[in-house]
Amino acid sequence: MSNAACHHQWAMTNLRSGYLVIEGCFHCRNRISFFSQEPVAPIDDYHEGEHFWSHLAHYQASQFDLKCEKCSAEMQLKDVMALMLCMKCNPECGVYAAGTQEPSQKTWVYAALCADTSHSTKKCIPPESIRALNEYFNQSIKDPAKKIVVVPCSLRKSVDTCQGVVLADFGLTDLY
Amino acid sequence: MKVSELVEKTGLKTFNEGADKEIKGVYISDMVSDIIGINEGHLLITLQTHKNLIAAANLVDVAAVVISRNKTPAEDVVALANKAGIKLLGYDGDTWGLAKKLCELKIG
Repeated sequence: MSNAACHHQWAMTNLRSGYLVIEGCFHCRNRISFFSQEPVAPIDDYHEGEHFWSHLAHYQASQFDLKCEKCSAEMQLKDVMALMLCMKCNPECGVYAAGTQEPSQKTWVYAALCADTSHSTKKCIPPESIRALNEYFNQSIKDPAKKIVVVPCSLRKSVDTCQGVVLADFGLTDLY
Repeated sequence: MKVSELVEKTGLKTFNEGADKEIKGVYISDMVSDIIGINEGHLLITLQTHKNLIAAANLVDVAAVVISRNKTPAEDVVALANKAGIKLLGYDGDTWGLAKKLCELKIG
């Protein structure tokens, strides 16, 4: 069966544990994140072009890819730093709005977080990755009224006021 | 075995109503980053009581969540579980003790 004709049955593959590292630039105030599989999360400050990046936080997290069990098509999700459950804190937010477009009461919106938190490059998670994530998380839901909607984090109105719940392990790497 | 039957046989505490789902397996983990990889219909056993536990459990459509070591989830965690229809259960003993009970009942 060709990839194009296949109604994909995705399975999680290449599950890798690591750290979601958040950095901020004190010059432009932008924020970025990246996934590190180093045994110890990198916490260095460094200069990159006009940016002066400093470590803000890191949390244990995991990344994964998807592979179709029918046609073996693969979807690499290296751009997805983490997933975040929308807590519907702001009706003006695009992530919130994505949930209101679904008629079901049991619609849950998760934002796929990219590395460019401030979206200074204007790029976010590719549409094909978002599509695959939606297919994957909905394919095994038995409740016909329940739906998972995955959207790119570029729809988020404000990083600073967002009350979304990030799927990462907070506090495990804190130093006391 | 359904969640209600498990509660009857093990005397687990219930923190909310939640849906009575069929248990297809058992998964033990205390890390949210690990939970997102489990299969639908699993009974999740954990020490975690943070809200992001529910966010992850909802994403992978668990059968129910059992919090061991006599820990109690906060009200906002229970509220989120209620919205998600996830049954929250509690076990007084440690995770290993519960795992042994589940093996005896041939669950998982």
